[in-house]
Amino acid sequence: MTPSYYLLLSAVLFSLGAVGVLVRRNAVVVFMCVELMLNAVNLSLVTFARINGSLDGQVMAFFVMVVAAAEVVVGLAIIMSIFRTRRSASVDDSNLLKY
Amino acid sequence: MTNLAADAQGATGLAGSAWLLLALPTLGAIVLLVGGRRTNKWGHILGSATVLGTFVYGLALFFSTTGLDAYKRTQELHLFAWIPVNALKVDFGLRLDPLSLTFVLLITGVGALIHIYSVGYMSHDRDRRRFFAYLNLFVAAMLLLVLGNGFVTLYFGWEGVGLASYLLIGWYQDRPSAATAAKKAFLMNRVGDLGLAVAIFLMFANLGTTQYSEVFAKIGTLPSGTILAITLLLLLGACGKSGQFPLQSWLPDAMEGPTPVSALIHAATMVTAGVYLIARSNPIYDLTGDGRLIVTIIGTVTLLIGCIVGCAYDDIKKVLAYSTVSQIGYMILAVGLGPFGYALGIMHLLTHGFFKAGLFLGAGSVMHGMNDEVDMRKFGGLWRLMPITFVTFGLGYLALIGFPGLSGYFSKDAIIEAAFGQEGWRGWAFGGAALLGAGLTAFYMTRLVLMTFFGEKRWKDLKSADGKDFHPHESPKSMTIPMIILAIGSVGAGAFLSVGNRLVDWLEPSLGGLKESEHFVIPKGTVTILTIVLMLLGVGAAWLFVGRKPVPVTRPARVSFPVRAARADLYGNALNEALFARPGTWLTRALVFVDNKGVDGVVNGLAAMLGGTSGRLRRAQTGFVRSYALSMLGGSILVVAALLAVRFS
Amino acid sequence: MSGFFSQAQQLQAPDVAYQAVLPMLLVLGAACVSVLFEAFLPRERRWGWQVALTVVTLAGAAISLIVYGNDAPKAGVKTFSDVLTIDRPTLFLWGTLLLLAFGAVLLIADRSVEPGGAFVAQAAIRPGTLQDRVQAAKVGMQTEVFPLTLFALGGMMVFCAANDLLTMFVALEVLSLPLYLMAGLARRRRLLSQEAAVKYFLLGAFASAFFLYGIALLYGYAGSVKLADIATAAAGTNRSDTLLFAGMGLLVVGLLFKASVGPFHTWTPDVYQGSPTPVTAFMAACTKVAAFGGILRVLMGAFASTNWEWRGVLWGVAIASMAIGAVLGLTQTDVKRMIAYSSVAHAGFLLVGSIALTSKGVSGTLFYLLAYGLTTVATFGIVSLVRDADGEASHLSQWAGLAKRSPIVAGVFTFLLLALAGIPLTSGFVGKFVVFSAALQSGMAPLVVVALVFSAVAAFFYLRVIVLMYFSEPAADGPTVTVPGAFTTMAITIGALATLVLGVFPSFALDWAGAGGFTF
Repeated sequence: MTPSYYLLLSAVLFSLGAVGVLVRRNAVVVFMCVELMLNAVNLSLVTFARINGSLDGQVMAFFVMVVAAAEVVVGLAIIMSIFRTRRSASVDDSNLLKY
Repeated sequence: MTNLAADAQGATGLAGSAWLLLALPTLGAIVLLVGGRRTNKWGHILGSATVLGTFVYGLALFFSTTGLDAYKRTQELHLFAWIPVNALKVDFGLRLDPLSLTFVLLITGVGALIHIYSVGYMSHDRDRRRFFAYLNLFVAAMLLLVLGNGFVTLYFGWEGVGLASYLLIGWYQDRPSAATAAKKAFLMNRVGDLGLAVAIFLMFANLGTTQYSEVFAKIGTLPSGTILAITLLLLLGACGKSGQFPLQSWLPDAMEGPTPVSALIHAATMVTAGVYLIARSNPIYDLTGDGRLIVTIIGTVTLLIGCIVGCAYDDIKKVLAYSTVSQIGYMILAVGLGPFGYALGIMHLLTHGFFKAGLFLGAGSVMHGMNDEVDMRKFGGLWRLMPITFVTFGLGYLALIGFPGLSGYFSKDAIIEAAFGQEGWRGWAFGGAALLGAGLTAFYMTRLVLMTFFGEKRWKDLKSADGKDFHPHESPKSMTIPMIILAIGSVGAGAFLSVGNRLVDWLEPSLGGLKESEHFVIPKGTVTILTIVLMLLGVGAAWLFVGRKPVPVTRPARVSFPVRAARADLYGNALNEALFARPGTWLTRALVFVDNKGVDGVVNGLAAMLGGTSGRLRRAQTGFVRSYALSMLGGSILVVAALLAVRFS
Repeated sequence: MSGFFSQAQQLQAPDVAYQAVLPMLLVLGAACVSVLFEAFLPRERRWGWQVALTVVTLAGAAISLIVYGNDAPKAGVKTFSDVLTIDRPTLFLWGTLLLLAFGAVLLIADRSVEPGGAFVAQAAIRPGTLQDRVQAAKVGMQTEVFPLTLFALGGMMVFCAANDLLTMFVALEVLSLPLYLMAGLARRRRLLSQEAAVKYFLLGAFASAFFLYGIALLYGYAGSVKLADIATAAAGTNRSDTLLFAGMGLLVVGLLFKASVGPFHTWTPDVYQGSPTPVTAFMAACTKVAAFGGILRVLMGAFASTNWEWRGVLWGVAIASMAIGAVLGLTQTDVKRMIAYSSVAHAGFLLVGSIALTSKGVSGTLFYLLAYGLTTVATFGIVSLVRDADGEASHLSQWAGLAKRSPIVAGVFTFLLLALAGIPLTSGFVGKFVVFSAALQSGMAPLVVVALVFSAVAAFFYLRVIVLMYFSEPAADGPTVTVPGAFTTMAITIGALATLVLGVFPSFALDWAGAGGFTF
């Protein structure tokens, strides 16, 4: 099995994540889709590391995980606070700022 | 006297402190603006004193320069390096040469007179101090415009006078028409400024400099297409600032400002900046015959439009404004003739500065006495009540229509002759148009004078807009004295400047010698006679159709039947219109229509289109995160697809 | 155990040029200390200590920057095993960031304009409840905003100095995450503020996923994420250009998002409007500096050799950004939204300078960033002063006739708007001038003409506000202009004075900006 299938898989996962951001309403799910995109990138990083025969890509994947974890902390805090106010986690309800 | 540039002629002696010319009015403006109400008491005195001081200093500079040899008259005064980055060097410096000194005298001289006049004219305005601050600001910017030694410095002054003009047109803030006029002036000037800016960019990109001395030295190395582009862009700038076709319509609207502003900015000085720009750039224009031809065409078209529209208006200031448009058309026509006309354009600019400023001040004086009424149909018979205004206005009028011996005669006749000196069809077209313009000028100006100063006192039974009776009276001394001085200028300036080629020789270091055409399509003498004949025809026609009216046999009878007399007057006017003015009005209306719908339509339509687009597009900002994400995703796909398409196509 | 230590000793710790990175270390270190302050100081003493710490840190960082900058090697220094480059543009960007952050911190720290400061005391309390109304009236603010500011600033400084893409990504997150939180801390209009935070966060995370995917593709292309290695690979290999250009496209999209370049600007108006005004000032000024610092470095460092293939695309992006900013700004009714659209237009102008790819383009863009940032901080300072009972009166109709109420505020605001419009004698004019002339010299005359047209269109909406302030009658129940405290006054004064000085005597700043090029 050539590594390029992993790249393809990663691209598919990334696209799924992007589409998910566009179609899902729940803020938490939207955020999970973003996480899916990040992890799709991790898969390509690791695959490229394998293709290039260097460890850099794998190390980078760790960095990405750490950053993603930090993002979760901040993101969930923000989503929580707006959920407490509006009693709804739908991103379509936050619609006061426009035009 | 530090930082003298070693090249050309470093400015020494009196000229070494030429920065004072800029510093004095700037100081006045700053003190008045920052000082606020505290300076209300003496603000107008300070404002006038700074400009008067500048004038005296300019006069001293002028006399010290006339003593020098011709080749030493161009002096450069380097002040400081302004934007020195890598290849881009913009130095801030002044160029003192006959051309700029001539303008300094015009600006500060007429400026000082108008400052003094405004002391009286604006005496009822609560904000008189701020008015003087703006006027000082204008004088400073205008001096920067003419004294700068490079195009960037000129651009600064150019924007500065635009700002001052904008502030002053909108002076009567409570009138919506004033705000609209200010906005219109700003917009149309931006179009012109864009042209000037792009021209400067072009010069810099191709020559690596924007200083006059270096640009003029290197311009010959450029391909002719680039030179033509630069000249046309400069012309666009000139058209915006000087109210030339197709950007002329802001100038008449600008008359919403106070009358001294109309006299100083919109007649004598700022609007002639376009003529200055082209004359200053003469080494560039010398290289391109096509560029000059287009300048000439623009000037000719504008001078005819100005004359024809001027015949139709009843608003005294608007008539004068269109007259300004038309006279600047003459100047642009003259500088478009190249070496045959640069000096003539400047000469007409100077004489026009005198008589047009005088005419505006006269109009202001009439309005001052008539409760700010501008409709000439409500005037009439004022000559007895305002004798000084009448005499000074009359002299300005005679000068403008080119009455032999007065200043307009010398300057305008020379331009018409030079226009006939062009070869072939050009001589016929430009000369003929200029000649026709002279006749029309005589017609509408005579009409104006007849309606204002002669005939029935139509205002007797009328009330002014605020419901008061009219009590025409002569204006105070602070207003009449400037008018008298300007009237003297209107009478004598032309003869003084043209006898013995005084002005032409003086300007030679800046503009090159004035060439005399060898081939005239009509002999020069004939042109002079034709000009005078057409002028008289115009006056006669105006008298026939406006001045002649059923005159009652005896004076007492007229006083005892004021109603009938007034009615007869109106009837006479209606008849005049039906017989003669109607075709003219149609033509005029058509032009006004084109002006309003065409030119204004483009400007307004553009604004409306942008506003409409904006209003519709902002609906795309729906407030939904997911639609934002969609637009980002779409943008990303576009960018990536475009990159790949470029690479693999 | 002993084996572990012996292995650890074999690892060579990278050399660090401490003097060069001292400003950055100071800011990040102070951020950590600031967190400790939050944990251990009693609540009522926190504000004073935090303000003192932040101001002292910024001053110290600036001094160490100046000391180092005086005799820094012209070629620049690479440190932390080459992931950071401290060259002349880095130093200029750091100086700009520190100066702008100082102005923004002054606005953040001000407690006189809004009693108790613009920040909520406890962000966790639900808007609209009784507790919320009580805390709106209570004096006291969330001092967490100071460590957040310092962390964001530290992230920005790393971002402009980053020499490889991974460092850049981490720095991007370090600067973004605190900003997401800060956007949600407004004392008044909590709902809008929270909504701004959510929008900014979701879209920012979305954009950083693109950025990261771009990094991954470039890593696949070049086998390294160092800018220099990517440049070497791009200069002449037979590797897949699909990876290169797809990777570059996604990477640039991530950067353009941060710089709020259209069409990736959609978050800008909403977030600028909803965030507390001092945070908007910080975000608008500093984020733009950092983002364009990154764009310049990436374009010059990694992609200069392929420029004829991508330049056309970025032309299109620049035109789109200028058009969106200038046209949509025309009909805005909220001051903060209008300035947001103006920032989109300015981002387009900056992009024009960034894609010139010459030393003049770099120095021009750097100068523009400095000038624009200072003007923006002062502008938002003024916006925070015009208030009614409900907080800031940011609707434009409330600004009608402001000049009659408060001529000084209206005068300063007019001056700042003229600077944003690029009128001569202001820094905005000089900035546009140097950027456009650099673009002209690298053969982008049509783009410059388009840029001039749009700057003329944009001038119109600034003018609209000026006309509104001077030529309209004030509303009877209009807002009042608060007399600013020392902090806000200082921030506005710095910004307005710098706008004037850079407009009249720009040469010294232009010299600094042009002192040297990038090192990779």
